[in-house]
Amino acid sequence: MSSLPLDPSAGGGRFPGFDVMGQEKHWDEVTSAVVVSRLGMPPDIRFFNAAEEATATALCDQLLDQREPPRVPVVNMVDARLAEDQTDGWHYEGMAPDGQSWRDSLSALDEDAMAHSGCAFAEAAWETQTAILQAVQDLGSEDWHGIPASRVWSLWTRYACTAFYSHPWAWEEIGFAGPAYPRGYKNIGVNKLEPFEVADAHPAQDPLRKGTS
Amino acid sequence: MNRVRERNESAWLLPAGPGINHRLRDDMRIFDDSDEVDVVIVGCGAGGSTMAQRLARAGWSVVAMDAGPFWDPEKDWVSDEAGSHHLYWTEPRVIGGADPVPLGSNNSGRGVGGSMIHYAGYAPRFHPSDFRIHSTDGVGADWPLEYNDLKPYYADIEEELPVAGDDWPWGDPHSYPQRPHPVSGNGDMFLRGALACGITAKVGPVAISNGRFGNRPHCIYRGFCLQGCKVNAKASPLITHIPDALAHGAEVRADSMVTRIEVDEHTGKATGVHYNRRGRQRFQQAKTVVVAGYSIETPRLLLNSTSTRFPEGLCNDFDLVGRYLMVQGAPQTAGRFDDEVRMFKAPPPEVSTEEFYETDPSKDYKRGFSIQTVSPLPITWAEHVAAQGHWGAGLRQYMSDYVHWSCLGALCEFLPLPENRVVLSSELDRHGLPVAQFNYSRCENDRALMKAAQSVMEEMLKAAGADEVITINRYAHLVGGARMGADEHSGVVDGDCRSFAVPNLYITDGSVLPTEGSANPALTIMAIAARVADRMSTGNHATQGGRS
Ligand SMILES: Cc1cc2nc3c(=O)[nH]c(=O)nc-3n(C[C@H](O)[C@H](O)[C@H](O)COP(=O)(O)OP(=O)(O)OC[C@H]3O[C@@H](n4cnc5c(N)ncnc54)[C@H](O)[C@@H]3O)c2cc1C
Ligand code: SF4
Repeated sequence: MSSLPLDPSAGGGRFPGFDVMGQEKHWDEVTSAVVVSRLGMPPDIRFFNAAEEATATALCDQLLDQREPPRVPVVNMVDARLAEDQTDGWHYEGMAPDGQSWRDSLSALDEDAMAHSGCAFAEAAWETQTAILQAVQDLGSEDWHGIPASRVWSLWTRYACTAFYSHPWAWEEIGFAGPAYPRGYKNIGVNKLEPFEVADAHPAQDPLRKGTS
Repeated sequence: MNRVRERNESAWLLPAGPGINHRLRDDMRIFDDSDEVDVVIVGCGAGGSTMAQRLARAGWSVVAMDAGPFWDPEKDWVSDEAGSHHLYWTEPRVIGGADPVPLGSNNSGRGVGGSMIHYAGYAPRFHPSDFRIHSTDGVGADWPLEYNDLKPYYADIEEELPVAGDDWPWGDPHSYPQRPHPVSGNGDMFLRGALACGITAKVGPVAISNGRFGNRPHCIYRGFCLQGCKVNAKASPLITHIPDALAHGAEVRADSMVTRIEVDEHTGKATGVHYNRRGRQRFQQAKTVVVAGYSIETPRLLLNSTSTRFPEGLCNDFDLVGRYLMVQGAPQTAGRFDDEVRMFKAPPPEVSTEEFYETDPSKDYKRGFSIQTVSPLPITWAEHVAAQGHWGAGLRQYMSDYVHWSCLGALCEFLPLPENRVVLSSELDRHGLPVAQFNYSRCENDRALMKAAQSVMEEMLKAAGADEVITINRYAHLVGGARMGADEHSGVVDGDCRSFAVPNLYITDGSVLPTEGSANPALTIMAIAARVADRMSTGNHATQGGRS
């Protein structure tokens, strides 16, 4: 059962009773171990220093709109990848590798918050943080603290989304059953469900259609 | 015995059901560094593994090295997106140019099986027109080969993978060894849209077994093809060519990163490769060297292999190494339906159309594109949604709608341009070697194709009943970088993939492609390798290294 708070008007409650972990007995052991570990105690913060941890936490909460507990421990998952240098390897010419780019961009966020409201990003009000981030996104390919804003934005969202949407609670929110080995799927096709899948309770809640969001 | 099994017994050497043949690995022949083997192969991906299997069968002594691990799918792979990160080549690389191409997960793999471990599994042929686009369209380059040179090898590899699909009407019409798979929600939307628009669409061609093949089981439609197929249904060299290579005495030396190719200054011939294994620097002697490390690592290895004779890098007398590297423009367009599509159920590769593959004289661009189903899992889908600018509450809401979306992808034929290339960066990797910098910029024709492909995909999805469509621009499938040419001024290797500069050095991976068509490249890479091996081993081609 989804334990993440999300209001029905914002996409919550679409798959009532859908239970991803309830299917764990049908998964192979190696996959189970990987997924179950995400539900246990989050890894300790090792890469970010305390100030960076605070800023990164506020940033990740904003990017995935996690305002209250329980939360997917996105910042711990991002930190773990950076601590282990589990990057995609590549980085843009003229931009530091991912770890350093995270540090640089977090301190740049603090600078923006300081200029905007005289405090660190993490101390700023939720709406202020939102406004600061929106301003970064609005720059598009223009520079933000010397780096094209879109590249920094993509760095943040890549890591944050990978962490969040690897979590069974997030899967429950979107109707995705997670691992499917060795069982596989037997009912494929439009509107076809497996016995353990749950149909969307609000199929017309198209986020793009006017008047529904 | 059937014909495929006589040629390549891999599928029968695997255990029944999932898993690998541990006995075959335990009993693997091991060579000494000081044994001058007939051939050392750098990279066990699409091109390298095919060479290893063919040459081992022909009686050559073979050492095939790979920088990554010798995978055991049951233990090493998971049915999970984030947990599959170790399948990708994630050593440092720098990307530049006006349209930098992100690498890693989206572009290259490592370990025995190469990028085909996490490729989707589409296995189309190139069209006959692909081999002479310079003559017919005045763009790109002609190959020193024709379609008919590859045709028998296409058919062979299609049987060995094996490929499932409808009878194919495009290019050189042909049929496939296996019947098409049933389609899922996403494939169904593709077919509905195509029908409504009057576009011919076909199921396949996919290198996913539809039925038992040897000891390999049927696909279970679980949708994790891009995370490595634990089932052994989807073809990769790890299960289609390596078992047979081992059974014929080849050694597969995993965890071995080749750092330099050695060339004798007096004879001008390659003598073997320097490599690093578990921290130790070693040298394997060989009569012939075959490089198949992918379009980034192959040029990088050549550029890093400098000597008095080759101060600018091996085979780089004419500044061609690393150049004419191509990606396919791969925009993905998704459509929203009130119905539940659940595109994560079934393999992402299902249905395609090559109706727009060839140059359309009524358009102001040359060459074309193909369209296929792609079915992103949640993390990749979130990237798609985030690329639309959604974040925070908007992103969560959008993502909650996942089951209603269908997603198509195009492959646009980008043109080979000299400035799109690999160069060495000043940054060093942990072996102390300069890392590759890959610069990419599109030309006008490339941009026009991406736009055209997007509008066809939008039209198809709307015709299928989608109320909204969104598109993300991305790139896929790197090829080129050490291309074949008619002579040393136009290519690094000749039509038999032998380098012009060093007579016993061959390149047999995607790097040699002079153009890319709008087909996914793996089948063509394997067919080229199979042809080269054939010519090397039957003496059709006067090899200067080779078997003693
Ligand atoms: C997500 C994704 C989806 C794809 N989908 C499709 C598809 O549906 N159909 C299709 O046809 N293609 C697809 N491709 C592309 C296809 O997988 C590649 O084009 C093909 O595998 C390339 O073959 P290759 O022989 O050039 O290199 P690879 O298969 O990548 O093999 C290169 C090998 O060399 C090793 N290596 C590199 N450098 C060294 C060194 N210095 N020393 C030792 N070893 C080294 C690497 O570890 C690797 O194993 C996809 C690729 C990706 C990433
Ligand atoms: S969908 Fe089929 S081919 Fe793809 S990973 Fe699953 S079993 Fe393998």
